[in-house]
Amino acid sequence: MSWNRTALVQRIPWTLIVFLAACTVPWIGSRYNTFLGEQIAIDALFAVSLNLLLGTTGLVSFGHVAYFGVGAYVCGILMKTYELPFAVAFPAAGLGTALFALVSGYFCVRLIKLYFAMLTLAFSQIVWAIAYKWNDVTGGDQGLPEIPFPDLDWMSSIPGLGDLRINDQFYLLALALIAVSLAVLHRIVRSPFGRILTTIRDNPERAAFIGINVRAYQLAAFVVAGTFAGFAGALYGIFSRGVFADYVFWSKSAEVMIMTILGGMDFFWGPAVGALALVWLNQQITAYTEYWPFFLGTILLVLLFVFPGGILGGIAAGYGFLRRRLQSRPLQPRDA
Amino acid sequence: MPASFLFSQFMGGLTTAMFLFLIASGLSLVFGVMRVINFAHGSFYMIGAYLAWQMVHWLHPGGASFWAAAIFAAVGVALLGAAVERLFFRSLYGREELYQLLFTYALVLILGDAAKFLWGTGQLSVSTPPVLAGSVQIFGTTQPLYNLFVMAIGPAIAFGGWLVLNRTGIGRMVRAAQMDREMLDALGANVGTIYTGMFVFSAFLAGLSGALVTPIQSIVPGMDVLIIVQAFIVVVIGGMGSFWGTFWGSVIYGEVLSFGILIFPGFSLFSVFALMAVILIVRPWGLFGKPLR
Amino acid sequence: MRLRHSLGLFAALAASLPVAALAADSIKIGFPIPLSGPTAVYGKPVLAGAEMAVKEINEKGGVLGRKIELLSRDSKASADEAVRLARELIIKDSVDFLAGTLTSAEAPAVSTVAKENKIVFVAPTSKSTILTDEKHIHPYIFRIASNTDVEGLAGATLMARWKDVKTVATIAPDYAYGRDSIAGFIEALKKLRPDISIVDSQWPKLGEADFTPFITAQMSKKADAVYCSLFAGDFVTFSKEATPLGYFKAINNRLIDGAEIGTPDEAQALGSDYPYGVIGDAYDPVIWSGAEPPEHKKFIEDLKKFTNAQYASGWSIVGYQSIVALAEGIKKAGNTKSPDVAKALLGLSFDTPVGKRSFSAKSHETFAPEYWGVMVKDPNYPFAVIKNPEMLPASFPSN
Repeated sequence: MSWNRTALVQRIPWTLIVFLAACTVPWIGSRYNTFLGEQIAIDALFAVSLNLLLGTTGLVSFGHVAYFGVGAYVCGILMKTYELPFAVAFPAAGLGTALFALVSGYFCVRLIKLYFAMLTLAFSQIVWAIAYKWNDVTGGDQGLPEIPFPDLDWMSSIPGLGDLRINDQFYLLALALIAVSLAVLHRIVRSPFGRILTTIRDNPERAAFIGINVRAYQLAAFVVAGTFAGFAGALYGIFSRGVFADYVFWSKSAEVMIMTILGGMDFFWGPAVGALALVWLNQQITAYTEYWPFFLGTILLVLLFVFPGGILGGIAAGYGFLRRRLQSRPLQPRDA
Repeated sequence: MPASFLFSQFMGGLTTAMFLFLIASGLSLVFGVMRVINFAHGSFYMIGAYLAWQMVHWLHPGGASFWAAAIFAAVGVALLGAAVERLFFRSLYGREELYQLLFTYALVLILGDAAKFLWGTGQLSVSTPPVLAGSVQIFGTTQPLYNLFVMAIGPAIAFGGWLVLNRTGIGRMVRAAQMDREMLDALGANVGTIYTGMFVFSAFLAGLSGALVTPIQSIVPGMDVLIIVQAFIVVVIGGMGSFWGTFWGSVIYGEVLSFGILIFPGFSLFSVFALMAVILIVRPWGLFGKPLR
Repeated sequence: MRLRHSLGLFAALAASLPVAALAADSIKIGFPIPLSGPTAVYGKPVLAGAEMAVKEINEKGGVLGRKIELLSRDSKASADEAVRLARELIIKDSVDFLAGTLTSAEAPAVSTVAKENKIVFVAPTSKSTILTDEKHIHPYIFRIASNTDVEGLAGATLMARWKDVKTVATIAPDYAYGRDSIAGFIEALKKLRPDISIVDSQWPKLGEADFTPFITAQMSKKADAVYCSLFAGDFVTFSKEATPLGYFKAINNRLIDGAEIGTPDEAQALGSDYPYGVIGDAYDPVIWSGAEPPEHKKFIEDLKKFTNAQYASGWSIVGYQSIVALAEGIKKAGNTKSPDVAKALLGLSFDTPVGKRSFSAKSHETFAPEYWGVMVKDPNYPFAVIKNPEMLPASFPSN
């Protein structure tokens, strides 16, 4: 019975249900629900992309926000300054970020541990500095406001979607793109490639010994993670109607790291759960107090010392505990 | 350009350098021994500044109270450091660096808000102690006594630190802990005590530097985050974990900035980030450090 | 089929819900403002001014019989955060209007949100010209503070009075406001005194920890006088480092700063370390030596009580004015619909404790003059005060 139940739980296509539920938000929720939903979805993609480095490959990047920022700026500049369509700007943002991740990652993966973290931090600060200073292109400290929405007229011609506001239509588009991105990331993590990354994380020396080119794999993971962060950034720029230098400041890297471990680094969906939880907590707490950083710090302390596995880790541990308890009582009539 | 102005500019750069060194030395020390990047070092520095202001405010503004306040701030922050290390930090030593990084970041968040709660958001300021309030003429330039004092403190701390690390039994153990913790443990040395001592000393230096900047800088919320990135740059340039490296890293930083703005008026500090990246790429252990195994 | 049914049901529900939720009876004003970080120094008093205005208006029965409710949020002085909060205030809290923001990075960014959502936004402090220049103006943006051109003209007017000054150096924070303010000053000075040349410009970053190398570099150019746009903690640090280096002595204290260093906020922070003799300005001199208008006296007394402080802040006035202006606009429009209020605000005059202000119909600004004067010791106060505050510029360039 318990085995059956587990199988049943596993057989339910949770991701599909969550996706479909998220799609209904523009109809059943308020504008604010859509706003929150979009922020959570984008943060989720951002955090899941970071976790490819953090959880899967074991690379502590303290500058992941650089790639988010590059994606946001490339997409924003192409759409606003050069008036290119989203269909061009969005892939270009991914490509631009991938190139930048390739170059910066090439140098980063040659370093170990803390030096790796420091160099990623340095690169993100360079991106921040460029964004902050290069007035003519990035708008400097005043940023690039008024990024246009993509042309979504085609969506209006789909029955049922025509009445939606442009924000809601963009929400659906972003949701679809994020779902595809997450599916691709999921495939990557579960592929042989992903298993090699895990091997590298667990024991780089052993991985090298069995003939794996550790740096090449780490670099590949770095580029993939950067690219998807770039996609998240591109969507965020349009979603928040502007791209600003603050996107790229180092403390944002810390925030996305917190999301990742809050949800649980050991689980593919952990960072997404973390994004949901953090955005929700932020909403709840900032409504009552301006001391949000204090609460965030305290949450982080609790995580580090009490629930290092994050929310999903905690649930999994609780679930495992319950199952052991149930199994250790064979006298209990199971099928009663 | 007359030589006196070049001298003046050099001294200006040196002032910047020595203030940064005071802050960065503790950061470098903790990295060298414990292999931890302590984001909260800037917060310790800020708390030191606030504590110094508080003490001066309680005693009477002006007068010799500044020196008492500086000691009070340094000791206060050292106690805070001790509490942080004993209560939390030590249980993270065996864990991945990610947890250590995030722990120090949690401290940044909590201490930042605590300072805001205790001292508000206003800008505070402390007067220069009367003894050092004046200035002297050197090579036809005006040099504030207080800046000269800081320029003397910096090398004194560097030299003192070097002396302790290289000429004493404690120093030997610290250096051994730096190289191989397990081995030292196995030999029966009390590594825990060494770590606590290092962390507390580093916090002491942060508190002291926070107190010492108050006569020439305003105390504002957010000064913690503003300073920590600069301190990182200095530590990276000189070599993480190397005391003298941090010293020369500070001097390079200060002088590059100082002559940069003299020669190119639009000179931007951001090129320093590029320098930081280049050094990490070419010589990750810094200009004066030794490669990590 | 079933899905479509339930969707239809959801849609009907969604359509009926928000209307009911909106029927609250207070007029809501969203107020993003820095409450943390280095600029909270001024964010807090601006907010206090706005809160006091709300309290006064509500005590008199509100506007159109409705109370005003102020929803303040910490913008962290970041454009990104301010935009996010502004949108959240609009769609979550259904605010009727926006006011607030402090820096010239936040205000133009929030202005675009106001434009997109057709919500009136009154910016109390941002001075950067781009907020309301021809390229960025839209029907819903209004500004209380003067802009950097007005500030620069006032600074240049004062500078021009020093007949023996032939060379001027400038120092300003390296960001939008600093750059605009120096540009405004130089442009005005060229017209007033073409014989003066600018011999040096230093651009320390906002929040610079150590100005020493900037100060020594500037001193090497031996200018006769300095125009400065450093403010808040930056000016405190700057002057504490500059004094012992002999910076002020070298220019005979001929430094003019247009960034509110004449406020008690700044003067209190520096205490006896203030570089007496320099010229500073303030939105509100607070301590008014000379003929103080009675409305101002009352305002300051009320403010002291409201903020429970020994000395009032020189920044609260602009927060106060932003709410008063909005309330007057609502009264004139007769409703709280932003398009109507926006129209009502055009050319609207309103009384404030420091005199009458009116929004230009063309550029939606008040061109508020500020109070300028030499900063002197005053035996009655433990900090510097403006001597005989003078309203400058007295008249404005045609705009």
